[in-house]
Amino acid sequence: MIQTILDALSYGGLYGLAALGIGLVFGVMRLVNFAHGELIAIGAYLFIVTIDLGLPLSILIAVTGTAILALLMEFSVFKRLRLAGPAVLLIASFGVSVFLQRFYEIIFGALPLSGQIAPWMTGVIEFGDTTITRGSIVTIVLALILLGGMWFFIEKTTLGLQIRAASSDFQTARLLGVRSNRVIGAAFVFSGVLAAAVAFVLVTQRGSVDPLFGVNITILALVGTVIGGLGSLQGAALGGFAVGATISLLNSFLGNYRVYTYTWLFILVIIVLLVRPGGLISNKAVKERV
Amino acid sequence: MSDDLLRSSQLPGVTRFQWQQLLGPIVVIVVLSYVISSISITFTFLTEGTLALLVMVLGLQVFIGNSGVLSFGQAAFAMVGGFATGLLTVPVKIKENVLDELWEPLKAINMGIWPSLVIAVAIGAFFAFLTGLFLMRLSGLAAGIATFALLMVADNVFFNWRLIGPGPQVMPQVPKFGFVDESIILAVVVMVVVYLIGISRRGRLLRATREDPLAARALGASVWRLRVLFFTVSGGIAALSGAMYAHHSGAVSARDFYLGFTFTTLAMLVIGGATSMWGAVVGTIAVTAIGQVLLEFESGVTLGGIDITLPNGARGVVIAAALVAILIWRPKGITGGREFTLRLPFLNRP
Repeated sequence: MIQTILDALSYGGLYGLAALGIGLVFGVMRLVNFAHGELIAIGAYLFIVTIDLGLPLSILIAVTGTAILALLMEFSVFKRLRLAGPAVLLIASFGVSVFLQRFYEIIFGALPLSGQIAPWMTGVIEFGDTTITRGSIVTIVLALILLGGMWFFIEKTTLGLQIRAASSDFQTARLLGVRSNRVIGAAFVFSGVLAAAVAFVLVTQRGSVDPLFGVNITILALVGTVIGGLGSLQGAALGGFAVGATISLLNSFLGNYRVYTYTWLFILVIIVLLVRPGGLISNKAVKERV
Repeated sequence: MSDDLLRSSQLPGVTRFQWQQLLGPIVVIVVLSYVISSISITFTFLTEGTLALLVMVLGLQVFIGNSGVLSFGQAAFAMVGGFATGLLTVPVKIKENVLDELWEPLKAINMGIWPSLVIAVAIGAFFAFLTGLFLMRLSGLAAGIATFALLMVADNVFFNWRLIGPGPQVMPQVPKFGFVDESIILAVVVMVVVYLIGISRRGRLLRATREDPLAARALGASVWRLRVLFFTVSGGIAALSGAMYAHHSGAVSARDFYLGFTFTTLAMLVIGGATSMWGAVVGTIAVTAIGQVLLEFESGVTLGGIDITLPNGARGVVIAAALVAILIWRPKGITGGREFTLRLPFLNRP
């Protein structure tokens, strides 16, 4: 039972981190970034390739590399699509996503690369008759630290204030002197950092990485961002958490029928969207009238 | 939605029936199909597969192009169509041997390809209608994500539920089309349907809702009803595409119609130009041609005495890059979203 709750919390935290990364970029430029998964994948590749240099250096390289790729996406593609609507941006990011997947296939090969990043995370801790995996605790702690850090950054710093202003009304924020390209660039960098954190947790759990490494979690986190409420950062993190926790709970309760977890999850997603098209925490600025 | 991609550069008045707009694309497809399939058996196979994809892109065009609503879910109906026709035409003996967990009444059924195609289309359209009743309440990004969720549900169900199919395995021994003519006839029929429904009264009304939903409502158009209607038609066409694919390759599995399929067909539509039938045709031909040339390069080509071999994956890189480049520099696609015309497009800028 305790393990079930901890699993739900750690899954929720992990998906919350991924969804916050997507939500940050969505907030400032209405881009639902499919290619966030390929940021997670490059983070994982960098961890596996550089782990022989020691964990601290490996973390530094992975985080920096992922943030640079995020900025590269913005400069090479999304900066040129400033005037496009959300649907065009979504399709473009779908294109960037497939582009990078195939690119990884060329560079690293189609087969999985494996490596032990932090073997101590797979151990278990025993409390009487309940056993708890160390990985789930580390994930929860990491998620709490990063979500707290992001909260501090967004609520208490000038750049964070500008990101919030741009999220709620981009045009007005620009008119009031917020430098839009700088804010968008910052959002991409932070989404890259969050992607590297997600990559760290995932790659220690799975012990290998392939070109499609980030696709699954990105689809789920993206759905979390949307049902949480597009354009609201708390909504994104909360939506991601809800999706992750729901998956974990469905996995525990469906028993032998757990292969149908996604069916139930996505039916729930459709229901939430029908009842609240603007998301659980909705933002007036993104409502569309039909 | 303020999306360039999904807006036509044609004025609504230009959408009156014109023979050249319908016959042009048909002549191009029929001639190309016969010429290319006459080269070799490999190319006949390629032509049939491309025609199945063309039908899918046309199915996407009739909904996305006319309504301006993005849908990632049409591949779910292709899955339905492929599985339906597979279950109806695979010989009873094979079903008993390979698909042992199949629902008993489904094991006993067997019929020819043509009646099976009709049933597959009807089932696909029925499912599209049923889901459309709910999904078409949404628009914009919510619609994009909800249709994506539909694809996920369909994939998860077909991949696991062995009562209605092979589960994660492949359904083998689906009877194949005998000639390339069958695929050509089906593609031409779909092109006629897509063109005519696009310029029909309801088609023009739906396009009006795409350009300005509030003004269209003021004219008495029910956005929801129109979208459900076109979603249903699109679902039927997608089911036909899935069925054509099954009878072309002789086998069908859930993962044939997943993210890769969705990406390829969506890229074809966007690269060609989403707001016209001609755009769907051009996009399908262009992406297939690029893919084929690069496939040659991946297996090694000698140009001017130099051996060039591209790594595996180069095809995906180039097609994805082409999609992004089109979105940046020519957001309305190669055709500019216009229908076929004998006048050269660059002399005809409005």
